[in-house]
Formats: sequence, C-alpha cells, structure tokens
Amino acid sequence: MLLHILKYKFLSFVKTTFDPRMVTAIRGLGSLLVFGGFGLVAYVGSYEATRFIMEQTRIGLFLYHRFISMMLFVFFMAVNMGNIIVSYATLYKSAEVNFLFTKPVTFTQIFILKFLDNFLYSSSTLFLVAFMVLFGYGSYFGYPWYTFFGVLVGVLVPFMFLSACVAVLVLMSVMKVASRWGFRKVMLLIGTMYASFVLIFFRYTNPIKLVNRASMYYPNVDQYLVQFDPGFLKFLPNNWVADFLFFFAKGEPAMALPFAATLLLVTAGMFGLCLYVAHRFYYRSWLVTFEVQALSNSVEAGRRIKLFDFRKASILPPQAEALLKKEYFIFFREPSQWIHLLLMVILVVIFVLSVRNLNLGLRVTNIQAMTYLVLYAFGVFLSCSLALRFVFPGLSLEGKAFWSQRSSPLNLHKVFFMKFLVALTLIMGLALLIAVASNMPFVQLTERRPLLMYFGLFSAFWVSLSLVALNLGFGGYFSNFQEKNPIRIASSQGATLTFLVSLVYLITLVVVISVPLMRYFESLFLFLPFDFKVIVVPGTIFGMISAAVTGISVFIGLRSLQRDF
Amino acid sequence: MIELRHVTKKFGSFTAVDDLSLTVPDGEFFGFLGPNGAGKTTTIKMMAGLFTPTTGEIILNGFNNATHPIEAKMTVAYVPDQPFLYDKLTGREFMYFVGGLYKMGKKEIKESVEELIEHFEIGDWVDKRTEDYSQGMRQRTTIAAALIHEPKVMIIDEPMVGLDPKSAKIVRETLKQKSRQGIAVFMSTHSLPVAEELCDRIGIINNGRLAFVGTRSDLSAYKEKFDGKFESVFLELTK
Repeated sequence: MLLHILKYKFLSFVKTTFDPRMVTAIRGLGSLLVFGGFGLVAYVGSYEATRFIMEQTRIGLFLYHRFISMMLFVFFMAVNMGNIIVSYATLYKSAEVNFLFTKPVTFTQIFILKFLDNFLYSSSTLFLVAFMVLFGYGSYFGYPWYTFFGVLVGVLVPFMFLSACVAVLVLMSVMKVASRWGFRKVMLLIGTMYASFVLIFFRYTNPIKLVNRASMYYPNVDQYLVQFDPGFLKFLPNNWVADFLFFFAKGEPAMALPFAATLLLVTAGMFGLCLYVAHRFYYRSWLVTFEVQALSNSVEAGRRIKLFDFRKASILPPQAEALLKKEYFIFFREPSQWIHLLLMVILVVIFVLSVRNLNLGLRVTNIQAMTYLVLYAFGVFLSCSLALRFVFPGLSLEGKAFWSQRSSPLNLHKVFFMKFLVALTLIMGLALLIAVASNMPFVQLTERRPLLMYFGLFSAFWVSLSLVALNLGFGGYFSNFQEKNPIRIASSQGATLTFLVSLVYLITLVVVISVPLMRYFESLFLFLPFDFKVIVVPGTIFGMISAAVTGISVFIGLRSLQRDF
Repeated sequence: MIELRHVTKKFGSFTAVDDLSLTVPDGEFFGFLGPNGAGKTTTIKMMAGLFTPTTGEIILNGFNNATHPIEAKMTVAYVPDQPFLYDKLTGREFMYFVGGLYKMGKKEIKESVEELIEHFEIGDWVDKRTEDYSQGMRQRTTIAAALIHEPKVMIIDEPMVGLDPKSAKIVRETLKQKSRQGIAVFMSTHSLPVAEELCDRIGIINNGRLAFVGTRSDLSAYKEKFDGKFESVFLELTK
C-alpha cells in the first residue's frame, strides 16, 4: 500500500517537475542556474573559509571542528524547528491526510508518507547548502570524490533525519497534552525549554572560553581535546558529526567510523520510536486537533469584543481599517505564524544583547573593518530571513478567499501598499534595533563619533524598504493561492530565488560600503584627516541600488495583482 | 443593468468564451446555463473583475468594468461558485470586512449585518471562525456578505450547491425578492428546475457561445418542438 501511494506521489512529482511545456522548461532552467550558482557560492565559500581558518588563523583542526560542532548544533535546531512547524501542517492540517484516513491505509503508513513529505520538503534547500558546504570543506582536506557520497548518505542525511524525528516526536507530545493544557500554554512551555537548551549549550560551549582554554595548550591543542569537552556534549549528534569529520580530516577513518555508526544507530532507533509513537498516538493526536480548534473557536469567544475588533470604531478610512484588521486577525490566529515570529524575535534579541556590549579591543583597521562588515552582513541577513519568512508569503496567504477583495470596489494598489506598510513596520523596527545594537560597540570604539550609527540607521531604512518590496513583489509574482502553509510558501522555488536575489543585494551593499569603511577606520586609527566626500559616492550608490530594487519589485508586485484570479 | 459586448476570453489557444453579447436589464432575473466547461464561470469571473476579457467590454450599471472598475464594482454583489472565506475570521468578521471594502460606515454595517444574520438564520454560528463551517454555512455567509451593501446587480455562480432544502428556499426567495426590487440578477446554475422556476430569461452557453437566449415563454414554445421537457431542449442545444 505504502509503495502504491508513493508511486503515485512520485509520478505526480515527475509530471509537475518535467512538464514538457516551454514555460516550465525555461523556469526549470532558470532555477537550475540559480540553484547551481547558489551551490557554487556555498562550495567556494566553504573551501575558502576552511583554507583561511587552517592557513591564516591557524586555530588548529580541533578548535575548527569545535566551531563546526556549534554550527551543526544551530543547523540541527534550524532543521528541527522548521520540521516542527511544517509537520504541524502536513501531519495534522493537510487535506491529503483527511483523504487517506477515509481509505484502508494504516495510521502508521499515513504517518510515514507525511513524515517523508515533510522532511523532503522542509529540508531540501538546507540539504543542498549542507552538501555543497561539505563538498567545499572536504575538497580542502582532499577527500576522494566517492567519500562525499558516503559522508552524505552515512552522516549528513541521518543527522538531518534525526533532527526531523525529534521534531515530530515533540510535536506529537505537544498535540497529546494540548487538549488538556491548551495549545498556547504548551507551545510557550516548549519554546521556553528550547530557548533554555540553546542558552545552556552556548553557556557550556562558549567560543571565547574555548579559544582561551585551547590557546593554553597551543600548538598541541588537538591532543588535549577530550578534556575541553563538557560531559553532556558526548551525547549530542552535532558532536558526533563534528568528531567524525575531525578524525576523517586527520586521516584516521577508523577513529571516525564509530561516530557515524552511533549516529546511524541512534537515528534508526529514533525513527523506530517515531513509528511506535505514531502507531499508538498519531490518530488520537490528529483527533485532538479538532478539540484544540474547538477550544479556540467557540461562539462565546467569537462574541467577545477583542482588541482591534471589527465592530469597534476606527479613525482609519473603512477600506484601510478592514484590510489592516483582517491582516492582524489572520496572522495572530495562525499558530505557525505567531510562534515563528516569536522565535525569530527571540533570535534578534539574543543577537542584539550579544553585540551591544561587544568589546572590540584592537585599533587595527583591517580587523575592525572586517568585524563591522561581518556584523553588518549578519544583521542584513537576519532581515533577509525575516522578510522571506513573513513578507514573501503575504499575498499567497490571501488564498482562494482573495476573490472577496478582487471583486470589490478596491484599488488593488491599496491591498499591496497596506501589506507593504504592515511588513515595513515589522522589518524596519527590527532592522533599526539591530542597527543600533550592532553600531553601539563601534561608537564606543570611535570615541563616541556618531557617523557609523548614522550610517546604520540610513542603511536600516533602505535595506528594510528594499527587502520588503523585494519579498512582497516577488511573493506576488510567484504567488500560490492554493497553498495555506506559510512555511511551504516561504521555502518554495520562487522564495528561494527571491532569497538569492536578497543575498546578491546584501553582497553588493557590503562591497559598496567596504572601501569608505576602511578609509574611515584608517583615518581614526592612524590619526589622518577623513574626507567626508569618500562616503558621498558610495552612499549615493547605496541609495540608488536600494531605490532601484524597491521600484522594480513594487512594479512586479503591482503587475502581478492584475493577473487573472 | 448588465451589458456584455462581444466578450471573448482566450487562455492560450483555447477560447473559453467566444464573442458573447448579452444584456440583462434592471429587475430581470437571468439564468445562465450550460454543461461543464461551457464558459459559464469564465463569463461570471470576467463580470466580477477576476478575469480580464481578451476582447470586448462589460458594462455594469453604465460603468465599463475595465476602465472604471471601482465604480462598476461598487454596485455589484458577486457570489463565487466555491464559497472560500478567510478561515481565521468569523462569519460576522467577514461580513464587517466586506462592508469595509464597500466603504460603509460602522453603523450602516452593523444594521445590515444584523438584518442579514436574521434573514439567513445564521446567528447560531456566525461568531465561530469559518474554518469550522460546512459548505452550506459558507454559502449562506457568502451570500449574506454579498448583499451587505445594497447592490444593484447580483452575479451569482451556482448558489444552490451544498445548501439544505431550507437554506435553498431562503436563497431562492431572497434572489426573487431582490429581482422584484429592481436588481438585475445574473445566476449560473446546473439545476434546470431552479432556472425554470426563478428566471425571467434563460441563456444557454455551449463551447463558449450562446446557443439559446429567450424568455420563459420562448422556452415553453421551444420545448414543444421536443417532448415538452426542458431537459431535452438543454441536451439538444448542448450536443
């Protein structure tokens, strides 16, 4: 039965992907080029980063792999949280599940189908990135070509699969207790547990402490690796992968294999546990979703006058008021939206708290310029991620109910700009917060000169404007009114393309500001006069590029609204 | 009044609606029939502003809906064939939302909503989110929301689908009443008895072209050529 259903799912996938029409072929070729380019960038970036770390900074193989372990931890958590949110929609809210429950298919078979669907869908882009990063890393250490596939199948896939298994187990547990405690309370509890886990991990694997302790044994760092590790680290899968890579890179595959074997065994065991739990609880937890929905959707609850209730008077014109209130209710009544926003805001707050008191120390131009650019790029990257996740799906999420606006006496430009305004408020607010926090250490470093802070605010304004326009405009162009799941929309092919365009924009900005930044730090540290004209041309280019991105994207978005619905 | 002037809609090389011309004066109840894929929903979507005609013009209450869409839509009520609503809004919120889109004031919306809730007997569940609604509940909410702004033209695609007998009766009576009040009603349906019962004039579309347009007496005369049944006329015209 399982194979029968998989066969038809596969056929459907093949027919959609390899549609012989010219438009689909061109689109496919375009995607191939974009994904190929993205893969190439990931490969080159990983290779060059490894080369730089191993040859320039000389931190040693052990320390490098401890940093890899930390990155793998973040990767594990990203895959895990992505899977929790997506699997809520695929396992519990999908029309296909409703259909399959009416057919003679066992609950476990349905679970396997949707679990695989969920895993492949939510992890495919991360998978591509991870493989190309591994390819770049392995190329530096001279892995033979066939080992990449071995590491991919034997380590990377099980690692991501394990993360997905944990996610689904957490979700089924949440659903099990949600009917008793309420969905919001359980999600807040789980969120707190996750945040505590992340904080504990980074508290005990603090990179600065690690560098200090490792440098005590320099240059024989690698020989003392065991005593640096906190005990609990041995039980974390990111450490197994990092240790596997460490011994493999060291040319000791026999030492590496036990870590891969542990990972494979634990993954298999965890999948077995998933199947057991699914066999026992999946159907029951699926029924719970109706109870949870009923709890939050009673007539009494609907009759209560709420904040921003439609019945309340407003100072806004009727159309603007109707659109804004609709946006508000649709967002905050969808758990996958507000929970994800909460997580992202927590991430931004952690970033802000971490950087605002950063002690930059050395007054060396190259180091400070590089630090500034890294922090700047990370801040813009956060904004790119926020915009992709929350702005790109904006128009698609109107769904099939969009007929109500399309057939009403409403100028569709108003629909676009209302969404633009809401998204801009969110993205710009967070971008300004990031800009202020990440510029504070530099204001201290430059003896309270405000120039970098002004630049940060100028940049936050333009970057948020451009990213909101880009994601809303392209989100309209690639709109999919059939899909109700915002995460699936934000991880679609069109979304990935938009994200890549955002990254090209980000890289362009970094290139544009790098020279004036170097000049500025040079003038400060070498006590040279600073000619403000140096910032006028790049500043103008910065503004012009951003204005062009904004204008083109808005045009694309508005045109997309004229299409037949 | 509704006027369609030489309206054609093409999707690539496929012509869904071919040179359709039609007038529905105020107060007339027009039934639009045809087999599946004949072009009924495409015609209706063009009238509602969801599709743009490839050629031709659609005039609603004197306004061309391509050049003056806002003015044209201001007086139109549209009910789609599938009553999709915003899942996370309640029925009442959806009605307030639609009222806002038609630039109505709060007091005006409130009065209209209360009246429609009572008329369509949806008070028991109108304050629940629409994600829990049955097809019939959605249909009744959609029709109620469409009438919130006192329209002069009604464009309705398959209004009886999914309705229980009582709800179907309420909808039939409402539409008839609106037509008597001087509203031009354009309704597509698959139900031949409903069309015969309600409509002043009937149009049958097949392969994008009008195969028949006539009043009920024209239809009666036409039926006599066959076995006296509308069904036989319909099957003959849509062969």
